[in-house]
Amino acid sequence: MYYLGLLAEYLKNYMKTRLTYRADFWVEMISDLLFQAVNFIFILVIFMHTDSLGGWSQNEVIFVYGFFMVPYGIFGCFINLWGFSERYIVKGEMDRVLTRPAHNLFQIFLENVDPPALAGSAIGIVIMAISGANLGLSLEWWTLPAMLLLSISAVAIYTGIYTALTSLSFYSDAPTGILPLMYNIQSYGRYPVTIYNRAIQVLLTWVIPFAFVGVYPAALFLEREEMRSMALLTPAVGAVFLAIGLLAWNHGVKRYKGAGS
Amino acid sequence: MNAIEVRDLRKTFKVQKNREGLKGAFADLFKRQYSEVTAVKDISFTIPEGEICGYIGENGAGKSTTIKMLTGILVPTSGIVNVGGYVPHAERERFVQEIGVVFGQRSQLWWDIGVIESFQLLRKVYRVPEQDFKRRLDELVERLALQDLLNRPVRKLSLGQRMRCELVAALLHNPAILFLDEPTIGLDIVVKSEIREFLRDMNREHGTTILLTTHDLQDIEALCSRVIMLDDGRIIYDGGLEELKQRWGTGVEVQFQFGTPTKLPQLQQWSADMPVNWTAENELNAKVWIPRELNVSDLLAKVVGKADITDIKIIETNTDDIVRSIYQSGSAEKPAGLLQAEKEAIHV
Repeated sequence: MYYLGLLAEYLKNYMKTRLTYRADFWVEMISDLLFQAVNFIFILVIFMHTDSLGGWSQNEVIFVYGFFMVPYGIFGCFINLWGFSERYIVKGEMDRVLTRPAHNLFQIFLENVDPPALAGSAIGIVIMAISGANLGLSLEWWTLPAMLLLSISAVAIYTGIYTALTSLSFYSDAPTGILPLMYNIQSYGRYPVTIYNRAIQVLLTWVIPFAFVGVYPAALFLEREEMRSMALLTPAVGAVFLAIGLLAWNHGVKRYKGAGS
Repeated sequence: MNAIEVRDLRKTFKVQKNREGLKGAFADLFKRQYSEVTAVKDISFTIPEGEICGYIGENGAGKSTTIKMLTGILVPTSGIVNVGGYVPHAERERFVQEIGVVFGQRSQLWWDIGVIESFQLLRKVYRVPEQDFKRRLDELVERLALQDLLNRPVRKLSLGQRMRCELVAALLHNPAILFLDEPTIGLDIVVKSEIREFLRDMNREHGTTILLTTHDLQDIEALCSRVIMLDDGRIIYDGGLEELKQRWGTGVEVQFQFGTPTKLPQLQQWSADMPVNWTAENELNAKVWIPRELNVSDLLAKVVGKADITDIKIIETNTDDIVRSIYQSGSAEKPAGLLQAEKEAIHV
């Protein structure tokens, strides 16, 4: 309850700040959407040359992509750790965060909320609706609750991975280059993993489980039997990775060294 | 009841050594060398409730590191810390509810929103009930004359205005203990004395315990009954300010200006029965050092009738000089001999 209240308060302040820099708000939203559009067009271009990709039809791939956009948008909005090391460790803003009576990681999330990213989630839903209709998928009673649960699980996976990786900056003096690398790898998860070779499939499933934020949960709605068990595993993977992330973080905070005087 | 208790507190940082040159940089890439730097070396002190304590020392003496351990930001390498009944780093979220923190070089406030909105946000963060918040805010705003600033964004405030707002932000939840890290840094004289007066009132009215670090010794003189002096991670002095002055301000210097040339041996002869130390720049100017135990007027009585004096200056060593010489010698134990004081001249 306390944290929800804080969230509302921070969002209110975000809006106030952003309304003073309106142009900035729209530019950010549009650039986000353009980025997604380019990826989307990429899929369309591929399917101009072939009818199926590793056994997946165009509409299926697009549906997976649409599903991926939902957790990705939520993650981008609420869990924004981009530039953490620069801002909080190098400049020492972590000092301030640590002297306030709310969990430090949560405060950092709140201070960096980025609502324009949610536009991606909205578009993802539209994409799923359209491609779902093209595929003739039916809306069962469990579809919406399952979608909610799996989206939240996917966000938990993202949060866990990025929190764990970001907490590395507590251990290492220099900002690491591993985060940009991750941002590249994560884009593999938005396409059906079966199109990749075996090693990458294992990597995306068990090591850095980006397949669980896109193709596996989406497969449940596409009624792909071979991935059903994987889809049902998503919440568990989410819980495990979130726990790893939080543990790594809490342990890292103890090693925080502060900056300057 | 002690507000702050520290025993054998130590903090060691592992610092990466950078080897020289491009070759060194490559070597560092594969095998890093670390050295340990102990910023705070087994210090112990206690601060009773309601005390204002100054924490001074040169840059890099370990002041900020100590404050950061006391506020729960850093985890100590070893030793015991207890602040307001909490172990700061272990129970951080509950503990920080009870303290206020102002870091002079860093802002608590949100840059782009109005000051009052920052306060509202902090109210939510600290879970201060609306009623208490209103009363407290009104009191603080009036006390620090912030009425006109409340709706301005923080980035448009001057440093002095911002610092007053920072104080309000740190005190909204009515903390029992206040930590101030260089609260008057970069402020003009008027704002400085406003802030000092405010802190004194806070301490008197609410019994707030205050620990402040500063480089401005006038802060200390105006506020603190006690100083802790740190050098190279160790406490070199802990006690009253008056005591420090007495121990270190070893005497008084008197400067004479004569109308007619007066020779040094002559002066020494006049005061032959007193253990004073004369120096003369020329025949018209002379200085005498009088130890604390002696009476200045006794010496004056010996000289005034005999010489043709045009001016007398009595110079007492002030805290700045005392502290400077302590920093230079690195220990508060042995007096550094004659202090060359130039300030606080009293014309007779």
